[in-house]
Amino acid sequence: MNPELQRNLWLEASPFRLALIAGLLLLVFAAGSVAPTGLMNTPRAALGLYWFFAVLWGTRSAALSVVVEIRERTWDSQKLSSIGPWTMVWGKLLGATAANWFGALVCLPFILWPVWHDDGAGAALLYGVILLSLGVFAQAVALLSSLVLIHRQTGNWRLDTFLCQVAGIGAAFAYYSLWSSIRAFRESGTTTLAWWGHDFTLGSFHLVSLLLFLGWALIGCWRAMRSELRFANGPYVWLAYLAYVVIYSAGFESEIGAKLRGQFDVPAASIPVALAGISLMATAYGMAFLESKDPVRLRWLGDQIRSGRWYSAFLATECWMLSYAATLIAGLALAALWAGTPSAALAVLAMLGFMTRDICIFLLGRMFGGPKGDFGALGILAALYLLLPTLLRHAHATFLLIPGPHTDSLLSVMAAWAQGLGFCYWVARVIRDRAPRS
Amino acid sequence: MIEITDLVFDYPGHRALHGVNLSIAASAITALVGPNGAGKTTLLRLMAALETPYDGRVTIDGLDTRAAPRAIHERLGYLPDFYGLYDALSVRRCLFYAARSHGIGPGEAKGAAEAAAARVGLADRMEQPAGALSRGLRQRLAIAQAIVHRPKVLLLDEPAAGLDPQARRDLSRLLLELRDDGMTLVVSSHILAELEDYSDRMVIVDNGRIAGGESIALKGGNRLRVTLAQAKEGLADFLKAHGAEVLETGPDRAVVALAGEADARAALLAGLIAAGYPVSEFAQDTQALEEVYFARVRGRP
Repeated sequence: MNPELQRNLWLEASPFRLALIAGLLLLVFAAGSVAPTGLMNTPRAALGLYWFFAVLWGTRSAALSVVVEIRERTWDSQKLSSIGPWTMVWGKLLGATAANWFGALVCLPFILWPVWHDDGAGAALLYGVILLSLGVFAQAVALLSSLVLIHRQTGNWRLDTFLCQVAGIGAAFAYYSLWSSIRAFRESGTTTLAWWGHDFTLGSFHLVSLLLFLGWALIGCWRAMRSELRFANGPYVWLAYLAYVVIYSAGFESEIGAKLRGQFDVPAASIPVALAGISLMATAYGMAFLESKDPVRLRWLGDQIRSGRWYSAFLATECWMLSYAATLIAGLALAALWAGTPSAALAVLAMLGFMTRDICIFLLGRMFGGPKGDFGALGILAALYLLLPTLLRHAHATFLLIPGPHTDSLLSVMAAWAQGLGFCYWVARVIRDRAPRS
Repeated sequence: MIEITDLVFDYPGHRALHGVNLSIAASAITALVGPNGAGKTTLLRLMAALETPYDGRVTIDGLDTRAAPRAIHERLGYLPDFYGLYDALSVRRCLFYAARSHGIGPGEAKGAAEAAAARVGLADRMEQPAGALSRGLRQRLAIAQAIVHRPKVLLLDEPAAGLDPQARRDLSRLLLELRDDGMTLVVSSHILAELEDYSDRMVIVDNGRIAGGESIALKGGNRLRVTLAQAKEGLADFLKAHGAEVLETGPDRAVVALAGEADARAALLAGLIAAGYPVSEFAQDTQALEEVYFARVRGRP
């Protein structure tokens, strides 16, 4: 047996604990079956309890599987073990949540039986797969978040656990909402979805999408665990993820393009690029916030580049750097495709300049404020995008701070890139000035 | 066994190690000493492949920590200064998990756990939860976890901190036994007295550098201490005349360096007795750790 799974089972799944969970759940369901109509509905109670066990409590258990190791100072011994990264991931993911899954699996028949009864075995099976994958997805996101937070070394395990739990629960709600939206589409008469020009049934498209997101979450856990266990990761997995993001998001061109082309006079070929660019930009901001952005590592990367060791530098690039570069490429391609509509092209160029500034703000936040600096950077961005534009609106000068369809588009591009390059220079200065003297 | 070349390690805004070069001999206990914040723990963590150097390299048993960290982990045991245990698990389960997590198969893990427990004197407490053990016993369990896979190298960071005198003596005995079995041990501490009992060599880390540039032999070598029951004139001259280099001298004692092996020592002792010197002690000289330490670390009392 996987030793990490076995250790977690020893700690989390004692016979007494499992018997207690089973006894309490069966008591709740028995009460539901004899309660007056309307007071308590067993399937609904089972669904609520499934969410409690698999998502609310499960995300906490998954996050704690790493956070507790740090808190109890056992993480170093785990890093020194010869357990492989994938074995460690599933040992924690299933082992630390063993009691949660036990409770969730007791609930599952009470949820699926009415579906089977009303809609047949196929519908029940599909719903079961969705619920199980939802639980694994939420827990995988919580585990991934905890592995990311390790690098940030915040030192506040309660806050870390809470943040990981929030990430996992948020992912579960997004997952479930996407699935639930099928019903709304069906009610509006839509049964198919166009992707890369092909029609797919809503149910199958959503199911495959959800399982792919689950797959990426697990790959993310594996990659983060590799890094913790001192394996060299390289940029290839993240590049593959970016390729997936580009292909997945650009494929909605058939669905969204017709609506957009009705509103804007832009070439059809540009719509997939725009969709891909927006998705890439989201990953750049997300990773710029989440990753450690270690100043020593950035200086080391600079040294590698200066000494011509390009491949070594490439292997050590952080995810946000790759996302940023990919967004720049997509943005420049989009600006070229929109050359016939100068205001749109200039707005894209301005957006790239502002993004450069924003990424630098995250870097400076880390350099000046440590792990907590990321939240400071978020505060500065909130001021730049929400508060200051409100003040500048009366002077018609919002183009100086935020991208958008401005009348002074060229000035906006100049302002954006002046800020972007200025902040780049500031980052480089700080890295250089803080280099230790031998 | 451990080769460190031009090793540099940076924390943000602060260089912890400045181009360290060091060679650590196999099957010996090397004490890593130095003041708090000197870089001892950082150096140990780099040896354990838990950190990545900014520059330079560390090889253990011929393997580079940057290129093959996991292969090194299979050959290495590490006890951090602030270690943790799974308090809710029994000693048996803690050791079984440690064995399994170091790649020992399920069939052999039970035996490996029992052997490690016996080695540190925990065989009679196998069913006791780790959380119920005293500090000294927890220390033993942590060491047992680090050696359960019989590593070639054992790194210990401040292993005797907080232990009572008996537990410290037990620890010294255990470390010497492990060395005698062929293990290479590196022990970090800033308490010199506790290292004196078992260290063969000493490395002084001071402000991210190795003071003196190399490790210092504390035991073995060709230093001999000669003590007389009563003072007798001409001791130094006699020793010089018989090929010994006199390093320290007094009316009833001398410390000398003598080339050659056991035969040379036997001949010198026989000569002293034949010449009527009342020899009460004739032994290999061990340098006092504290003496060497303060001689190397300039600017300290």
